[in-house]
Amino acid sequence: MIALVRYVLASVVHSQRYLPPYLVFLAAMGILTSNDHGPLLPIYAVAAGVALMCATWLTIVVANADDPGQRAITIVNAGGSGRVLVASVIVTTAGCVVLTVMGLFFPLTSGTHHLTGPDVAIGTAAMLTAGCTGMAIGLLCARPVIRRTGTMVLTAIGAIFGCLLIPGAPPMNTMFHLLAGDQRPAHPTVPMVTFGAIAVLLLGASIAVTRYVVERRD
Amino acid sequence: MRLRGIGKRYGGGPWVLSDVDLDLDPGDVMAVVGGNGAGKSTLLRLMVGLSRPSAGRLENRPTATGYVPDRFPPHERMSARAYLVHMGRIRGLRTPAATARADELVQRLSLVGGAGTSVRKLSRGNAQKIVLAQAFLVPSALLVLDEPWSGLDAATHPVLAELIAEAGQAGGRIVFTDHREAVARAYASRLCRITGTRLTEEPASPTAVVELSPVGEEQIALAGQPGVREVRDQPGAVAVFVADEHRDDLLRTALSGGWSVVGVRR
Repeated sequence: MIALVRYVLASVVHSQRYLPPYLVFLAAMGILTSNDHGPLLPIYAVAAGVALMCATWLTIVVANADDPGQRAITIVNAGGSGRVLVASVIVTTAGCVVLTVMGLFFPLTSGTHHLTGPDVAIGTAAMLTAGCTGMAIGLLCARPVIRRTGTMVLTAIGAIFGCLLIPGAPPMNTMFHLLAGDQRPAHPTVPMVTFGAIAVLLLGASIAVTRYVVERRD
Repeated sequence: MRLRGIGKRYGGGPWVLSDVDLDLDPGDVMAVVGGNGAGKSTLLRLMVGLSRPSAGRLENRPTATGYVPDRFPPHERMSARAYLVHMGRIRGLRTPAATARADELVQRLSLVGGAGTSVRKLSRGNAQKIVLAQAFLVPSALLVLDEPWSGLDAATHPVLAELIAEAGQAGGRIVFTDHREAVARAYASRLCRITGTRLTEEPASPTAVVELSPVGEEQIALAGQPGVREVRDQPGAVAVFVADEHRDDLLRTALSGGWSVVGVRR
């Protein structure tokens, strides 16, 4: 599995397609957080929204790194499409951790904020929730499941906006309102853990559906 | 490995293959022939597990499998060596062993530009060599090659034949396709034809045994010559199992390549 993860990572790095999602993330963070001196949690709520989009994009980049011919070779050499899927998820998770770190510390460089331990914990939870949700969407939109690029892009965009904008849609819409709203609880530990758990469940369901579709399609 | 009543259709479409029964034993080199779109690639994809049969079952499919797909647009940005080392590691080799084997195969297949060339800069024939090399990195219990000769130059044909013969002698089951039946017959010990949706085995051409002894300093390699199915070492000589219609060609090549004929039997 280590060899497979190394190959997927090398393939993504060589393709350089991982760069646009990170650059867009940094640019969006720059626009949305510069010269902001207010509380950090609303900023982290916005960062998580942007991270959702960039995590979805990154997941599609990783899952589409091999063209179909090479993918067939990788699957046979690895001993099954399930192992390739797991390797893609591991690489994307690492990519989402990088997004999380960027999202946590970028606001500190672009504005003046007082950083506290609970802020970091809640921010991390928010970013990881966004990352897992983004991965769940990205896996279902990438080429192993949706083959046509146009359909892939439109489905991904629709799913991202649905997650963010449909009132009460867990975990992203509810989390955004909790962190950015006026009645922010002082210690939102319980809801944050719940959002994280929902995101992990979504990711698990997405992996299962992707595996089911890929196994039965060909 | 056994295929029992294998059938394949995509969605609710027509059957591409039906009632395919096939046994493959270690050492078998089997050619699958049939027209364009006959279902050769589909059968091969079923064998390596990339595709699920719609009917029937596949028994005892080996896990150590090598595969060369029919089309391979090489978009890999890494060097040929880096790519092969990655593939070797995925199949369980350690980095030094994978590097050594990759370099060996690149040299044997005489890749233009050597192992350091970026894969996507390679011509079609040289890219095909890389795809072949990844399948031969590790001894496979099942080796499935879809049109392996396509795009290869004449000088590389015997090298591929030699690699196939070696894999067969190491106990691998080899299945390959080629749209030219002469090529398929020359290198295979078994031949199957797809007509309609059915697979039927045809008798491969009879084998002749040519015994040769070395004369002088240098001898031409016999494994990999057209039609050669196996080369067995004997005391002071070798026994070459060759497809009967290639017997005369082999004798000519051997006599001009430092061998003396001890005997020929059919």
